[in-house]
Amino acid sequence: MASYYFTIIGTLDRPLYELEFASFKNPTAQGVPGKSQFSASVKEILPFIANSSLDVVEDAQWNSNQFHLGKIDAFFGLQVNGYITQGNIKFLLCYETPTNANLALHAKQDDTTLKQFFNEVNDLYVKCLLNPFYSVNDAITSPDFDLRVKLIVRKYL
Amino acid sequence: MSEEEIILPSIASGVKSLTVNDRPMHEFGYNPSLGPHSNEITESSLNILLNRKTISLTPTSTHSIYDRNILGTKKHELSISSLSFLFGEVVSWSHRSSKGIQDLENRLNGLGYKIGQRTLELVKLRERFKNTKREIRLVEMLQFIHSTLWKALFGESANELERSQDINNEYMITDNCPLMAKFINIPKDYGNLNCSALTAGIIEGALDSAGFYAHVSAHSVPTDYMPQRTVFLIKVEEEVLIREDLRGGPMN
Amino acid sequence: MSRSGEEVWKNSTEKINSELFTLTYGSVVAQLCSDYNNNYNLVNKQLDSMGYNIGIRLIEEFLAKTGAARCHTMKETAEIILKVGFKMFLNITPQVDNWSLDNRQFSLILNENPLADFVELPSDAKDLWYSQILCGVLRGALHMVQLDVSVWFVKDVLKGDDITELKLKLNKILKDEVPAGED
Repeated sequence: MASYYFTIIGTLDRPLYELEFASFKNPTAQGVPGKSQFSASVKEILPFIANSSLDVVEDAQWNSNQFHLGKIDAFFGLQVNGYITQGNIKFLLCYETPTNANLALHAKQDDTTLKQFFNEVNDLYVKCLLNPFYSVNDAITSPDFDLRVKLIVRKYL
Repeated sequence: MSEEEIILPSIASGVKSLTVNDRPMHEFGYNPSLGPHSNEITESSLNILLNRKTISLTPTSTHSIYDRNILGTKKHELSISSLSFLFGEVVSWSHRSSKGIQDLENRLNGLGYKIGQRTLELVKLRERFKNTKREIRLVEMLQFIHSTLWKALFGESANELERSQDINNEYMITDNCPLMAKFINIPKDYGNLNCSALTAGIIEGALDSAGFYAHVSAHSVPTDYMPQRTVFLIKVEEEVLIREDLRGGPMN
Repeated sequence: MSRSGEEVWKNSTEKINSELFTLTYGSVVAQLCSDYNNNYNLVNKQLDSMGYNIGIRLIEEFLAKTGAARCHTMKETAEIILKVGFKMFLNITPQVDNWSLDNRQFSLILNENPLADFVELPSDAKDLWYSQILCGVLRGALHMVQLDVSVWFVKDVLKGDDITELKLKLNKILKDEVPAGED
Protein backbone atom coordinates (compact mmCIF):
# COMPACT_ATOMS: atom_id res chain seq x y z
CA MET A 1 0.00 0.00 0.00
CA ALA A 2 3.00 2.27 -0.26
CA SER A 3 1.83 5.46 -1.87
CA TYR A 4 4.02 8.37 -2.85
CA TYR A 5 3.65 12.01 -3.66
CA PHE A 6 6.39 13.47 -5.83
CA THR A 7 6.71 17.14 -6.62
CA ILE A 8 9.15 19.46 -8.35
CA ILE A 9 9.23 22.88 -6.72
CA GLY A 10 10.77 25.91 -8.36
CA THR A 11 12.80 28.77 -6.98
CA LEU A 12 9.68 30.74 -6.14
CA ASP A 13 8.29 27.88 -4.01
CA ARG A 14 5.62 26.97 -6.56
CA PRO A 15 5.06 23.39 -7.65
CA LEU A 16 6.12 22.91 -11.27
CA TYR A 17 5.09 19.29 -11.41
CA GLU A 18 3.25 16.83 -9.17
CA LEU A 19 2.65 13.12 -9.30
CA GLU A 20 0.83 10.78 -6.96
CA PHE A 21 1.51 7.11 -7.36
CA ALA A 22 1.76 3.82 -5.56
CA SER A 23 4.72 1.56 -5.41
CA PHE A 24 5.17 -0.65 -8.46
CA LYS A 25 7.54 -2.89 -6.59
CA ASN A 26 4.95 -3.71 -3.98
CA PRO A 27 1.61 -3.53 -5.72
CA THR A 28 -1.63 -3.76 -3.83
CA ALA A 29 -3.92 -6.67 -4.27
CA GLN A 30 -6.79 -4.59 -5.53
CA GLY A 31 -7.19 -1.45 -7.52
CA VAL A 32 -5.04 -0.16 -10.33
CA PRO A 33 -1.38 -0.90 -9.68
CA GLY A 34 0.48 2.36 -9.56
CA LYS A 35 -2.48 4.46 -8.63
CA SER A 36 -1.95 6.15 -5.31
CA GLN A 37 -3.90 4.86 -2.38
CA PHE A 38 -3.69 7.87 -0.18
CA SER A 39 -6.86 8.50 1.75
CA ALA A 40 -8.77 11.67 0.94
CA SER A 41 -7.64 13.40 4.10
CA VAL A 42 -4.02 12.70 3.34
CA LYS A 43 -4.41 13.74 -0.28
CA GLU A 44 -5.60 17.14 0.81
CA ILE A 45 -2.61 17.92 2.93
CA LEU A 46 0.13 16.55 0.71
CA PRO A 47 0.89 19.85 -1.02
CA PHE A 48 0.97 21.56 2.35
CA ILE A 49 3.38 19.05 3.77
CA ALA A 50 5.64 19.52 0.77
CA ASN A 51 5.40 23.24 1.09
CA SER A 52 6.12 23.37 4.77
CA SER A 53 9.17 21.21 4.35
CA LEU A 54 10.62 23.89 2.11
CA ASP A 55 11.78 25.78 5.18
CA VAL A 56 13.75 22.77 6.24
CA VAL A 57 15.11 22.42 2.74
CA GLU A 58 16.33 25.97 2.80
CA ASP A 59 18.19 25.30 6.00
CA ALA A 60 19.63 22.08 4.73
CA GLN A 61 20.69 23.38 1.36
CA TRP A 62 23.16 25.90 2.71
CA ASN A 63 24.60 23.48 5.24
CA SER A 64 25.18 20.55 2.94
CA ASN A 65 26.92 20.52 -0.39
CA GLN A 66 25.19 17.34 -1.47
CA PHE A 67 22.50 17.12 -4.10
CA HIS A 68 20.69 14.46 -2.09
CA LEU A 69 19.34 15.97 1.11
CA GLY A 70 17.97 12.71 2.46
CA LYS A 71 15.07 12.58 4.86
CA ILE A 72 14.38 16.17 5.73
CA ASP A 73 11.01 16.23 7.45
CA ALA A 74 8.23 14.12 8.85
CA PHE A 75 4.62 14.93 9.56
CA PHE A 76 1.42 13.06 10.19
CA GLY A 77 2.94 9.70 9.49
CA LEU A 78 4.51 10.84 6.26
CA GLN A 79 8.14 11.49 5.63
CA VAL A 80 9.71 13.79 3.11
CA ASN A 81 12.86 13.02 1.17
CA GLY A 82 14.55 15.81 -0.72
CA TYR A 83 16.98 16.55 -3.56
CA ILE A 84 18.10 19.93 -4.84
CA THR A 85 19.82 20.95 -8.05
CA GLN A 86 22.52 23.59 -8.42
CA GLY A 87 19.88 25.88 -9.85
CA ASN A 88 17.81 25.56 -6.66
CA ILE A 89 15.07 23.40 -8.08
CA LYS A 90 13.77 21.02 -5.41
CA PHE A 91 12.51 17.49 -5.88
CA LEU A 92 10.48 16.23 -2.93
CA LEU A 93 9.12 12.76 -2.33
CA CYS A 94 6.55 12.20 0.41
CA TYR A 95 5.59 8.74 1.58
CA GLU A 96 4.26 6.97 4.60
CA THR A 97 6.80 6.37 7.30
CA PRO A 98 7.53 2.69 7.47
CA THR A 99 6.04 1.26 10.63
CA ASN A 100 6.38 -2.25 11.92
CA ALA A 101 3.25 -3.14 10.05
CA ASN A 102 4.36 -2.05 6.64
CA LEU A 103 8.10 -2.47 7.08
CA ALA A 104 8.00 -5.44 4.79
CA LEU A 105 6.58 -3.25 2.07
CA HIS A 106 9.46 -0.85 2.32
CA ALA A 107 12.09 -3.52 2.63
CA LYS A 108 12.86 -3.47 -1.04
CA GLN A 109 13.32 0.22 -1.18
CA ASP A 110 16.38 1.80 0.30
CA ASP A 111 18.53 4.85 -0.05
CA THR A 112 20.14 3.71 -3.26
CA THR A 113 16.95 3.38 -5.22
CA LEU A 114 15.74 6.74 -4.00
CA LYS A 115 19.01 8.32 -5.09
CA GLN A 116 18.86 6.70 -8.49
CA PHE A 117 15.29 7.90 -8.84
CA PHE A 118 16.26 11.49 -8.07
CA ASN A 119 19.30 11.33 -10.35
CA GLU A 120 17.21 10.24 -13.29
CA VAL A 121 14.58 12.87 -12.66
CA ASN A 122 17.33 15.48 -12.54
CA ASP A 123 18.45 14.28 -15.96
CA LEU A 124 14.89 14.68 -17.27
CA TYR A 125 14.57 18.13 -15.74
CA VAL A 126 17.75 19.39 -17.41
CA LYS A 127 16.50 18.13 -20.76
CA CYS A 128 13.29 20.04 -20.18
CA LEU A 129 15.25 23.15 -19.24
CA LEU A 130 17.43 23.04 -22.36
CA ASN A 131 14.33 23.65 -24.47
CA PRO A 132 14.43 27.38 -25.37
CA PHE A 133 10.65 27.53 -25.11
CA TYR A 134 10.72 26.49 -21.47
CA SER A 135 11.60 29.11 -18.85
CA VAL A 136 12.80 28.43 -15.33
CA ASN A 137 9.78 28.16 -12.99
CA ASP A 138 7.33 27.31 -15.76
CA ALA A 139 5.02 24.40 -14.98
CA ILE A 140 6.12 21.23 -16.72
CA THR A 141 3.13 20.16 -18.73
CA SER A 142 4.80 18.10 -21.42
CA PRO A 143 3.16 14.68 -21.78
CA ASP A 144 6.49 13.20 -22.81
CA PHE A 145 8.02 14.38 -19.56
CA ASP A 146 5.13 12.95 -17.58
CA LEU A 147 5.41 9.60 -19.31
CA ARG A 148 9.11 9.34 -18.62
CA VAL A 149 8.77 10.28 -14.96
CA LYS A 150 6.22 7.50 -14.60
CA LEU A 151 8.59 5.09 -16.31
CA ILE A 152 11.34 6.04 -13.86
CA VAL A 153 8.89 5.57 -11.00
CA ARG A 154 8.09 2.14 -12.27
CA LYS A 155 11.75 1.30 -12.58
CA TYR A 156 12.83 2.25 -9.08
CA LEU A 157 9.86 2.45 -6.85
CA MET B 1 -13.15 21.02 0.29
CA SER B 2 -16.31 21.54 -1.71
CA GLU B 3 -16.53 20.02 -5.11
CA GLU B 4 -17.42 23.23 -6.91
CA GLU B 5 -14.72 25.51 -5.68
CA ILE B 6 -11.33 24.68 -6.96
CA ILE B 7 -8.62 26.90 -5.59
CA LEU B 8 -6.22 27.41 -8.43
CA PRO B 9 -2.53 27.46 -7.59
CA SER B 10 -0.72 30.48 -8.92
CA ILE B 11 0.47 29.45 -12.32
CA ALA B 12 3.87 30.41 -13.55
CA SER B 13 3.77 32.10 -16.89
CA GLY B 14 4.05 29.71 -19.77
CA VAL B 15 3.46 29.92 -23.46
CA LYS B 16 -0.07 28.77 -22.98
CA SER B 17 -1.72 28.23 -19.64
CA LEU B 18 -3.76 25.09 -19.12
CA THR B 19 -7.18 25.54 -17.64
CA VAL B 20 -9.33 23.24 -15.54
CA ASN B 21 -11.13 22.22 -18.68
CA ASP B 22 -8.11 20.85 -20.49
CA ARG B 23 -7.86 17.10 -20.47
CA PRO B 24 -4.53 15.52 -21.20
CA MET B 25 -4.15 13.39 -24.28
CA HIS B 26 -3.82 9.72 -23.44
CA GLU B 27 -3.80 10.75 -19.81
CA PHE B 28 -0.24 11.97 -19.69
CA GLY B 29 0.78 15.50 -18.92
CA TYR B 30 0.61 17.46 -15.71
CA ASN B 31 -1.93 20.27 -15.64
CA PRO B 32 -1.11 22.83 -12.93
CA SER B 33 -4.70 24.00 -12.82
CA LEU B 34 -5.88 20.58 -11.75
CA GLY B 35 -2.97 19.36 -9.72
CA PRO B 36 -2.10 15.70 -9.20
CA HIS B 37 -5.54 14.63 -10.36
CA SER B 38 -4.59 15.57 -13.91
CA ASN B 39 -1.85 13.03 -14.37
CA GLU B 40 -2.71 10.23 -11.98
CA ILE B 41 -2.14 6.72 -13.16
CA THR B 42 -5.20 4.99 -14.54
CA GLU B 43 -5.87 1.63 -16.11
CA SER B 44 -5.27 2.81 -19.62
CA SER B 45 -2.16 4.81 -18.89
CA LEU B 46 -0.90 1.91 -16.81
CA ASN B 47 -1.19 -0.31 -19.83
CA ILE B 48 1.05 2.00 -21.77
CA LEU B 49 3.59 2.11 -18.98
CA LEU B 50 3.81 -1.60 -18.42
CA ASN B 51 4.00 -2.55 -22.05
CA ARG B 52 6.12 0.39 -23.06
CA LYS B 53 4.01 0.90 -26.11
CA THR B 54 5.19 3.61 -28.39
CA ILE B 55 2.40 6.06 -28.66
CA SER B 56 2.48 9.56 -29.96
CA LEU B 57 1.72 11.89 -27.14
CA THR B 58 3.09 14.85 -29.06
CA PRO B 59 4.16 15.26 -32.69
CA THR B 60 7.72 14.59 -31.65
CA SER B 61 7.21 11.73 -29.19
CA THR B 62 9.05 9.24 -31.34
CA HIS B 63 12.25 11.27 -31.28
CA SER B 64 11.63 13.15 -28.12
CA ILE B 65 14.18 15.48 -26.56
CA TYR B 66 13.84 13.39 -23.42
CA ASP B 67 15.37 10.41 -25.13
CA ARG B 68 18.52 12.20 -26.14
CA ASN B 69 21.67 11.53 -24.26
CA ILE B 70 23.06 14.72 -22.77
CA LEU B 71 25.66 13.03 -20.63
CA GLY B 72 27.66 11.54 -23.48
CA THR B 73 31.20 12.67 -23.97
CA LYS B 74 31.04 12.82 -27.73
CA LYS B 75 30.42 16.45 -28.56
CA HIS B 76 29.40 17.98 -31.83
CA GLU B 77 31.76 20.69 -33.01
CA LEU B 78 31.28 23.46 -35.49
CA SER B 79 33.19 26.41 -36.82
CA ILE B 80 33.78 29.42 -34.59
CA SER B 81 32.77 31.51 -37.62
CA SER B 82 29.21 30.29 -37.33
CA LEU B 83 29.02 31.52 -33.77
CA SER B 84 30.70 34.80 -34.70
CA PHE B 85 28.35 35.47 -37.59
CA LEU B 86 25.34 34.61 -35.46
CA PHE B 87 26.56 36.74 -32.60
CA GLY B 88 27.37 39.67 -34.90
CA GLU B 89 23.87 39.64 -36.29
CA VAL B 90 22.41 39.28 -32.78
CA VAL B 91 24.26 42.45 -31.77
CA SER B 92 22.99 44.29 -34.88
CA TRP B 93 19.45 43.10 -34.33
CA SER B 94 19.57 44.07 -30.67
CA HIS B 95 20.92 47.47 -31.66
CA ARG B 96 18.01 47.95 -34.05
CA SER B 97 15.50 47.03 -31.37
CA SER B 98 17.05 49.10 -28.60
CA LYS B 99 16.71 52.67 -27.52
CA GLY B 100 20.27 53.30 -26.45
CA ILE B 101 23.48 51.72 -25.28
CA GLN B 102 22.20 50.76 -21.86
CA ASP B 103 19.07 49.20 -23.32
CA LEU B 104 21.19 47.30 -25.82
CA GLU B 105 23.47 45.96 -23.13
CA ASN B 106 20.42 44.91 -21.13
CA ARG B 107 19.05 43.04 -24.10
CA LEU B 108 22.31 41.21 -24.64
CA ASN B 109 22.52 40.50 -20.93
CA GLY B 110 19.00 39.04 -21.07
CA LEU B 111 19.92 36.70 -23.91
CA GLY B 112 22.99 35.55 -22.03
CA TYR B 113 21.01 35.14 -18.81
CA LYS B 114 18.93 32.32 -20.28
CA ILE B 115 22.07 30.63 -21.55
CA GLY B 116 23.68 30.87 -18.11
CA GLN B 117 20.70 29.26 -16.35
CA ARG B 118 20.82 26.29 -18.69
CA THR B 119 24.54 25.84 -18.83
CA LEU B 120 24.82 25.81 -15.06
CA GLU B 121 22.41 22.92 -14.60
CA LEU B 122 23.81 21.03 -17.57
CA VAL B 123 27.43 21.27 -16.49
CA LYS B 124 26.61 20.29 -12.91
CA LEU B 125 24.57 17.32 -14.10
CA ARG B 126 27.45 16.05 -16.19
CA GLU B 127 29.87 16.58 -13.36
CA ARG B 128 27.84 14.63 -10.91
CA PHE B 129 29.33 11.40 -12.08
CA LYS B 130 32.67 12.56 -10.83
CA ASN B 131 31.11 12.89 -7.42
CA THR B 132 31.29 16.64 -7.30
CA LYS B 133 29.22 18.67 -4.96
CA ARG B 134 26.87 21.61 -5.17
CA GLU B 135 28.49 24.97 -4.71
CA ILE B 136 27.11 26.64 -1.62
CA ARG B 137 29.71 29.28 -0.90
CA LEU B 138 30.24 32.38 -3.00
CA VAL B 139 33.96 32.00 -3.58
CA GLU B 140 33.64 28.36 -4.64
CA MET B 141 30.79 29.27 -6.96
CA LEU B 142 32.89 31.98 -8.57
CA GLN B 143 35.77 29.55 -8.95
CA PHE B 144 33.41 27.09 -10.57
CA ILE B 145 32.29 29.72 -13.06
CA HIS B 146 35.81 30.91 -13.70
CA SER B 147 37.14 27.44 -14.49
CA THR B 148 34.60 24.68 -15.14
CA LEU B 149 31.79 26.71 -16.64
CA TRP B 150 34.10 28.84 -18.74
CA LYS B 151 35.83 25.74 -20.02
CA ALA B 152 32.54 24.05 -20.93
CA LEU B 153 31.37 27.07 -22.88
CA PHE B 154 34.52 28.57 -24.32
CA GLY B 155 37.07 25.79 -24.33
CA GLU B 156 39.34 27.00 -21.56
CA SER B 157 39.25 28.68 -18.16
CA ALA B 158 39.07 32.42 -17.79
CA ASN B 159 42.25 34.15 -16.87
CA GLU B 160 41.86 35.80 -13.51
CA LEU B 161 39.46 35.83 -10.60
CA GLU B 162 39.92 38.61 -8.10
CA ARG B 163 38.10 40.34 -5.34
CA SER B 164 37.98 44.09 -5.24
CA GLN B 165 40.31 45.56 -2.62
CA ASP B 166 38.01 48.27 -1.34
CA ILE B 167 34.51 47.02 -1.97
CA ASN B 168 33.63 43.73 -0.35
CA ASN B 169 30.80 42.77 -2.67
CA GLU B 170 32.69 43.15 -5.93
CA TYR B 171 34.55 40.42 -7.74
CA MET B 172 36.21 40.42 -11.16
CA ILE B 173 36.69 37.68 -13.72
CA THR B 174 39.10 38.58 -16.48
CA ASP B 175 39.23 37.04 -19.92
CA ASN B 176 42.09 38.07 -22.15
CA CYS B 177 40.35 37.08 -25.34
CA PRO B 178 36.64 36.43 -24.93
CA LEU B 179 35.48 33.87 -27.45
CA MET B 180 32.19 35.54 -28.27
CA ALA B 181 33.73 38.87 -29.16
CA LYS B 182 36.75 37.50 -30.97
CA PHE B 183 35.75 38.46 -34.48
CA ILE B 184 33.36 41.27 -33.83
CA ASN B 185 34.21 44.75 -34.95
CA ILE B 186 32.14 47.44 -33.33
CA PRO B 187 31.36 50.29 -35.68
CA LYS B 188 32.01 53.75 -34.33
CA ASP B 189 28.36 54.70 -34.06
CA TYR B 190 27.76 52.02 -31.45
CA GLY B 191 29.70 54.13 -28.97
CA ASN B 192 30.87 52.47 -25.82
CA LEU B 193 29.09 49.21 -26.42
CA ASN B 194 30.67 46.16 -24.98
CA CYS B 195 29.14 43.16 -26.66
CA SER B 196 30.57 40.94 -23.97
CA ALA B 197 27.40 42.05 -22.23
CA LEU B 198 26.02 38.73 -23.45
CA THR B 199 28.74 36.81 -21.63
CA ALA B 200 28.11 38.97 -18.58
CA GLY B 201 24.51 37.81 -18.81
CA ILE B 202 25.66 34.19 -18.85
CA ILE B 203 27.52 34.73 -15.58
CA GLU B 204 24.58 36.58 -14.07
CA GLY B 205 22.12 33.84 -15.06
CA ALA B 206 24.32 31.16 -13.54
CA LEU B 207 24.86 33.08 -10.29
CA ASP B 208 21.20 34.01 -9.85
CA SER B 209 20.08 30.42 -10.47
CA ALA B 210 22.37 29.15 -7.78
CA GLY B 211 21.12 31.68 -5.28
CA PHE B 212 24.06 34.10 -5.46
CA TYR B 213 22.14 37.09 -6.72
CA ALA B 214 24.41 39.53 -8.50
CA HIS B 215 24.63 42.07 -11.24
CA VAL B 216 27.34 41.51 -13.82
CA SER B 217 28.72 43.95 -16.37
CA ALA B 218 31.51 43.75 -18.93
CA HIS B 219 34.29 46.28 -19.28
CA SER B 220 37.05 46.53 -21.84
CA VAL B 221 40.54 46.86 -20.44
CA PRO B 222 42.72 46.52 -23.51
CA THR B 223 46.45 46.25 -23.27
CA ASP B 224 49.07 46.36 -26.01
CA TYR B 225 49.23 42.62 -26.36
CA MET B 226 45.63 41.85 -25.56
CA PRO B 227 43.38 44.37 -27.26
CA GLN B 228 40.21 42.46 -26.38
CA ARG B 229 40.92 41.90 -22.71
CA THR B 230 37.66 42.15 -20.82
CA VAL B 231 36.88 42.34 -17.14
CA PHE B 232 33.52 41.05 -15.91
CA LEU B 233 32.55 43.00 -12.84
CA ILE B 234 30.36 41.00 -10.47
CA LYS B 235 28.45 42.95 -7.87
CA VAL B 236 26.95 40.56 -5.39
CA GLU B 237 23.77 41.51 -3.57
CA GLU B 238 23.94 42.37 0.10
CA GLU B 239 21.66 39.50 1.14
CA VAL B 240 24.14 36.97 -0.22
CA LEU B 241 26.92 38.39 1.91
CA ILE B 242 24.70 38.35 4.97
CA ARG B 243 23.86 34.72 4.33
CA GLU B 244 27.51 33.85 3.84
CA ASP B 245 28.28 35.44 7.20
CA LEU B 246 25.47 33.69 9.01
CA ARG B 247 26.19 30.30 7.57
CA GLY B 248 29.90 30.66 7.25
CA GLY B 249 30.59 27.88 9.68
CA PRO B 250 32.33 24.62 8.79
CA MET B 251 30.55 22.50 6.19
CA ASN B 252 29.28 18.97 6.89
CA MET C 1 41.36 24.03 -57.70
CA SER C 2 38.91 24.53 -54.88
CA ARG C 3 39.25 22.79 -51.54
CA SER C 4 36.90 20.19 -50.23
CA GLY C 5 34.69 20.83 -47.24
CA GLU C 6 36.38 18.07 -45.30
CA GLU C 7 39.77 19.57 -45.91
CA VAL C 8 38.73 23.08 -44.94
CA TRP C 9 37.03 21.72 -41.83
CA LYS C 10 40.07 19.76 -40.79
CA ASN C 11 42.79 22.26 -41.48
CA SER C 12 41.49 25.80 -41.63
CA THR C 13 38.72 25.90 -39.09
CA GLU C 14 38.87 26.93 -35.49
CA LYS C 15 36.38 24.60 -33.84
CA ILE C 16 34.13 25.14 -30.88
CA ASN C 17 31.59 23.09 -28.98
CA SER C 18 28.22 23.43 -30.70
CA GLU C 19 26.29 23.81 -27.45
CA LEU C 20 27.01 27.50 -27.00
CA PHE C 21 25.86 28.07 -30.57
CA THR C 22 22.69 26.03 -30.05
CA LEU C 23 21.86 27.79 -26.78
CA THR C 24 22.52 31.25 -28.25
CA TYR C 25 20.23 30.58 -31.21
CA GLY C 26 17.59 29.17 -28.88
CA SER C 27 17.74 32.27 -26.72
CA VAL C 28 17.31 34.44 -29.82
CA VAL C 29 14.29 32.55 -31.13
CA ALA C 30 12.64 32.59 -27.71
CA GLN C 31 13.26 36.33 -27.45
CA LEU C 32 11.80 36.94 -30.91
CA CYS C 33 8.67 34.96 -30.03
CA SER C 34 8.30 37.10 -26.96
CA ASP C 35 8.97 40.38 -28.85
CA TYR C 36 6.40 39.56 -31.50
CA ASN C 37 3.88 38.11 -29.06
CA ASN C 38 4.00 34.66 -30.62
CA ASN C 39 3.12 35.93 -34.08
CA TYR C 40 5.14 33.17 -35.67
CA ASN C 41 4.85 34.50 -39.19
CA LEU C 42 6.65 37.64 -38.11
CA VAL C 43 9.24 35.58 -36.28
CA ASN C 44 9.89 33.57 -39.44
CA LYS C 45 10.35 36.76 -41.44
CA GLN C 46 12.72 38.23 -38.89
CA LEU C 47 14.80 35.05 -38.73
CA ASP C 48 14.98 35.02 -42.52
CA SER C 49 16.07 38.64 -42.60
CA MET C 50 18.75 38.05 -39.96
CA GLY C 51 19.92 35.07 -41.95
CA TYR C 52 20.18 37.19 -45.08
CA ASN C 53 22.44 39.67 -43.28
CA ILE C 54 24.63 36.81 -42.17
CA GLY C 55 24.68 35.25 -45.63
CA ILE C 56 26.01 38.32 -47.40
CA ARG C 57 29.02 38.36 -45.07
CA LEU C 58 29.49 34.64 -44.78
CA ILE C 59 30.01 34.23 -48.53
CA GLU C 60 33.27 36.19 -48.35
CA GLU C 61 34.77 33.83 -45.83
CA PHE C 62 33.47 30.93 -47.87
CA LEU C 63 35.11 32.13 -51.08
CA ALA C 64 38.31 33.08 -49.31
CA LYS C 65 38.77 29.77 -47.57
CA THR C 66 37.75 27.48 -50.36
CA GLY C 67 38.92 29.30 -53.46
CA ALA C 68 35.76 28.04 -55.09
CA ALA C 69 35.24 28.95 -58.74
CA ARG C 70 32.06 30.36 -60.21
CA CYS C 71 29.44 27.66 -60.60
CA HIS C 72 27.89 27.24 -64.02
CA THR C 73 24.94 25.12 -63.16
CA MET C 74 22.60 24.75 -60.24
CA LYS C 75 23.88 21.25 -59.81
CA GLU C 76 27.36 22.55 -59.20
CA THR C 77 25.96 25.18 -56.85
CA ALA C 78 24.11 22.52 -54.91
CA GLU C 79 27.23 20.39 -54.62
CA ILE C 80 29.30 23.27 -53.36
CA ILE C 81 26.70 24.39 -50.83
CA LEU C 82 26.35 20.93 -49.41
CA LYS C 83 29.72 19.39 -49.51
CA VAL C 84 31.71 22.48 -48.69
CA GLY C 85 29.51 25.14 -47.17
CA PHE C 86 27.53 23.17 -44.62
CA LYS C 87 30.57 21.11 -43.74
CA MET C 88 32.91 23.97 -43.05
CA PHE C 89 30.48 26.05 -41.03
CA LEU C 90 28.19 23.61 -39.29
CA ASN C 91 30.09 20.36 -39.70
CA ILE C 92 27.08 18.61 -41.18
CA THR C 93 26.52 16.99 -44.55
CA PRO C 94 22.98 17.36 -45.87
CA GLN C 95 21.73 15.52 -48.92
CA VAL C 96 20.29 16.75 -52.14
CA ASP C 97 17.16 15.33 -53.66
CA ASN C 98 14.02 16.06 -55.65
CA TRP C 99 15.54 17.87 -58.55
CA SER C 100 12.93 19.61 -60.66
CA LEU C 101 12.76 18.80 -64.36
CA ASP C 102 14.36 22.08 -65.36
CA ASN C 103 17.14 21.57 -62.82
CA ARG C 104 16.46 24.93 -61.22
CA GLN C 105 15.04 23.60 -57.97
CA PHE C 106 16.12 20.99 -55.47
CA SER C 107 15.59 19.88 -51.90
CA LEU C 108 18.14 19.90 -49.14
CA ILE C 109 17.62 17.23 -46.53
CA LEU C 110 19.20 17.85 -43.14
CA ASN C 111 19.89 14.69 -41.24
CA GLU C 112 21.17 16.65 -38.28
CA ASN C 113 20.58 20.24 -37.30
CA PRO C 114 22.72 21.83 -34.57
CA LEU C 115 20.37 24.82 -34.44
CA ALA C 116 17.51 22.71 -33.16
CA ASP C 117 19.05 20.41 -30.57
CA PHE C 118 16.84 20.01 -27.51
CA VAL C 119 13.98 22.02 -28.96
CA GLU C 120 10.39 21.03 -28.32
CA LEU C 121 7.99 23.40 -30.06
CA PRO C 122 5.01 24.67 -28.07
CA SER C 123 1.73 23.16 -29.20
CA ASP C 124 0.52 26.42 -30.73
CA ALA C 125 3.67 27.01 -32.77
CA LYS C 126 2.50 25.26 -35.92
CA ASP C 127 3.49 28.21 -38.08
CA LEU C 128 7.02 28.54 -36.78
CA TRP C 129 9.91 27.32 -38.88
CA TYR C 130 12.48 27.18 -36.10
CA SER C 131 15.55 27.09 -38.35
CA GLN C 132 14.30 29.72 -40.80
CA ILE C 133 17.59 31.58 -40.39
CA LEU C 134 19.22 28.99 -42.66
CA CYS C 135 16.96 30.01 -45.54
CA GLY C 136 18.06 33.60 -45.14
CA VAL C 137 21.74 32.65 -45.01
CA LEU C 138 21.50 30.68 -48.23
CA ARG C 139 19.53 33.42 -49.92
CA GLY C 140 21.99 36.12 -48.87
CA ALA C 141 25.10 34.17 -49.75
CA LEU C 142 23.84 33.19 -53.18
CA HIS C 143 22.66 36.73 -53.86
CA MET C 144 26.25 37.87 -53.53
CA VAL C 145 27.26 35.52 -56.32
CA GLN C 146 24.53 36.83 -58.59
CA LEU C 147 21.97 34.15 -57.98
CA ASP C 148 18.46 35.22 -57.02
CA VAL C 149 17.01 32.26 -55.18
CA SER C 150 14.04 31.46 -53.03
CA VAL C 151 14.62 29.16 -50.08
CA TRP C 152 11.93 27.76 -47.86
CA PHE C 153 11.26 24.94 -45.42
CA VAL C 154 8.80 22.23 -46.30
CA LYS C 155 9.32 19.74 -43.50
CA ASP C 156 10.81 19.88 -40.01
CA VAL C 157 11.35 17.08 -37.52
CA LEU C 158 10.42 19.56 -34.80
CA LYS C 159 6.93 19.54 -36.19
CA GLY C 160 6.78 15.77 -36.22
CA ASP C 161 7.82 15.22 -39.83
CA ASP C 162 10.17 12.38 -40.51
CA ILE C 163 12.88 14.62 -41.99
CA THR C 164 13.92 18.25 -42.13
CA GLU C 165 13.72 19.47 -45.72
CA LEU C 166 14.38 22.81 -47.39
CA LYS C 167 13.65 23.70 -51.00
CA LEU C 168 15.92 25.96 -52.97
CA LYS C 169 14.83 27.43 -56.30
CA LEU C 170 16.71 29.57 -58.74
CA ASN C 171 14.59 32.56 -59.80
CA LYS C 172 17.06 34.29 -62.07
CA ILE C 173 20.69 35.01 -62.61
CA LEU C 174 21.44 38.63 -61.82
CA LYS C 175 23.26 40.93 -64.18
CA ASP C 176 26.93 40.37 -63.83
CA GLU C 177 28.22 43.28 -61.78
CA VAL C 178 31.36 41.64 -60.60
CA PRO C 179 34.53 42.85 -62.30
CA ALA C 180 36.33 40.39 -64.54
CA GLY C 181 39.01 38.34 -62.91
CA GLU C 182 36.66 36.59 -60.55
CA ASP C 183 36.95 33.19 -62.22
